[in-house]
Amino acid sequence: MSHHLTLEVVDADGAIQEALDDIETGTSRQGFLKKALTAGGTVVLGGVAIGGLPALVTAAPGPAQDTKILNFALLLEYLEAEFYTRASASGALSGEAREFSRVVGAHERAHVAFLKGALGSKAGAKPTFDFKGTTEDQAKFLATARVLEDTGVAAYNGQGPNLTKPTLAAAASIVSVEARHAAWVRDILQQSPAPAAFDAAKTQKQIESAVGATGFITA
Amino acid sequence: MTKGRRQGGFIAALALLLVFVAFAYGRDPSVEDGAVDLPPIPGGAVAQSPLLTRQSGTGAETPPHPLSDPDGTSRYMAVEQQVAARAKPSSGSRVVARLGTRTPEGTTNVILALARVERGGRLWIQARLPVLPNNTLGWIPRDALGGYNQVTTRLVVDLSAFRATLYRRGTVIWNARVGVGQRQWATPAGEFYIRNRLTKYSSPTYGPLAFGTSARSPVLTDWPAGGFVGIHGTNQPSLIPGRISHGCIRLENADILRLDRLMSPGTPLSIVR
Amino acid sequence: MSDHLTLAQVDSDGAIAETLDRISPDSRAGFLRKGAILGGGIIGGGAVLSALFADAAEAATENDIAIANFALTLEYLEAEFYTEAVAMGAIRNARVRRFAQVVAAHERTHVAALKGMLGARAVAKPSFNFQGTTESEAKFKATAQVLEDTGVMAYAGQAPRVDATAVLKAALAIHTVEARHASWIRHINGAPPAPRAFDQPKTMQQILAAVAGTRFISSGPAMTATGSSPSFTG
Repeated sequence: MSHHLTLEVVDADGAIQEALDDIETGTSRQGFLKKALTAGGTVVLGGVAIGGLPALVTAAPGPAQDTKILNFALLLEYLEAEFYTRASASGALSGEAREFSRVVGAHERAHVAFLKGALGSKAGAKPTFDFKGTTEDQAKFLATARVLEDTGVAAYNGQGPNLTKPTLAAAASIVSVEARHAAWVRDILQQSPAPAAFDAAKTQKQIESAVGATGFITA
Repeated sequence: MTKGRRQGGFIAALALLLVFVAFAYGRDPSVEDGAVDLPPIPGGAVAQSPLLTRQSGTGAETPPHPLSDPDGTSRYMAVEQQVAARAKPSSGSRVVARLGTRTPEGTTNVILALARVERGGRLWIQARLPVLPNNTLGWIPRDALGGYNQVTTRLVVDLSAFRATLYRRGTVIWNARVGVGQRQWATPAGEFYIRNRLTKYSSPTYGPLAFGTSARSPVLTDWPAGGFVGIHGTNQPSLIPGRISHGCIRLENADILRLDRLMSPGTPLSIVR
Repeated sequence: MSDHLTLAQVDSDGAIAETLDRISPDSRAGFLRKGAILGGGIIGGGAVLSALFADAAEAATENDIAIANFALTLEYLEAEFYTEAVAMGAIRNARVRRFAQVVAAHERTHVAALKGMLGARAVAKPSFNFQGTTESEAKFKATAQVLEDTGVMAYAGQAPRVDATAVLKAALAIHTVEARHASWIRHINGAPPAPRAFDQPKTMQQILAAVAGTRFISSGPAMTATGSSPSFTG
């Protein structure tokens, strides 16, 4: 498991900045943010915002916005599904890690199928992925899976309030499964399955930024 | 006789002796306060009852788990079915008392839960009982009882000092002077609990509010409704402090109203001489 | 160094604690960490959390208040169940005990947050009788699994019914934590942590009926009598 964690600053309301300032005494807020937004910078995450930036919500919930958000979710599900498919095929996994990849891969593929069905002709195409060896080594696989699942939870929770109610119902039935995945792999890794009383939400920008920084999506 | 059998016989005789001692001890109403029942401490439940220490541990049995600590959290439970409380946590054990579901005042009959054991797949609660002789304990099947209700207070009445003190988690939060039983109707000493609370009645001799306790007069055994010792107000405050009553603990009305804001029924009560 | 992860670390005080150790140990961060982690909450989250639930309190409609009180009732139940299980001392297995302690703290935090949000509109805590399920390790494990799965279905059922965005955000933040709890105890129990690709919601009526079936919510003992004079010895 990696000990070198790069944490993305969660830019939100003043309360977060307050917490960050408390932790990073002596570092200017601007410099702090600048460092954070550069991929590869090592920063400390203070408090975690629950809920996205109000300014980023472009419209009230509606079908067009649902489509945009579901395509965003589909992108993440494509990524997860492919990650688990390749990991299961790599032969690098054994024991419970193998079982985890098999079960969770099936779930993520089912999520892809569901979202593609819901989006119909509006469904985005599956990208090309390079998982940079994380599907070929059990320890890297587990560490990456943990981050992917935790990120999935934050992504869905971030977008939930932007969806129309029927779409929200569907998202709710998926996000809890992602949370189950996250807790499962954390327990496998002997980390706390539920590290806090409340799960954070992240904005689309934050998720896109984080995913982009991995380099997993190559086209 | 083999050595093993002789040992077995000796142990059985010792057990019998201890049973007899506990029985005789428990039955004697003139035993000084505190001699039989100490306030429960973690693990102390085992020390409390010699009957328990004599039970053979087969590995499947666990030691009693304490449920009440007067300096911390105490727990009381409703009696939800008529049930027999027994000397040991076994359905074949001697009946110590039979409990009903209601008090004479119509409130739910509750017991103070001291400890819990599992025996033969069944849970048993060691309870402080509102029966004579005072300071009687008994084992009740857990499924005859309701849920656990918690209190963090403890009331101590000192008969010689004519003073009542309320503690919350070991810290004094209230105290007042009291009137207690006259010598021929002495307030009994020992470990009890507040059983219920009475309000909105018109009887000035009892003041505005009364608490029922699990303590009973050992002498006024013909008293209506069992002769329970109460804690109540008075229309004769000038008699306090003093030995003035038939056994009840009397408070000045302002004091009992203050107590009511701080203490809820179920609270363990210690009466010391 | 080259294979470290660069994805954002989400809401994990374990990872944050680890990272905090790497900056100056004398920093105030160390002080923050001790307080926040032990509370099982979010580090530095005090201000954020209050903001979330304060926003929710302001924006809640009558419908939202009813939903929040429904959630509060379930959280009261879970908080009391786990807290009592820890106190009853019947859990011998360290892994199960840790689960109970952590989840008890979480559920108590949920209760506090929902009560804070509802203020004077919060329903009172019911009386409970857990029928021995807090007093046996085996019964505890099975009951916890049912309670957590039920909680997931309850929140999933209510999320689309919530009016105010701020209330919805709060509900979503709790919903996925209940799912983590469910997965965790299932894993401990040897049951599939994530049995399905899609979790099913249940309606409020369905959940309340399921809860009623447990007989965990009881009326509690009647301790006060009015109207009749005491018959104590006086």
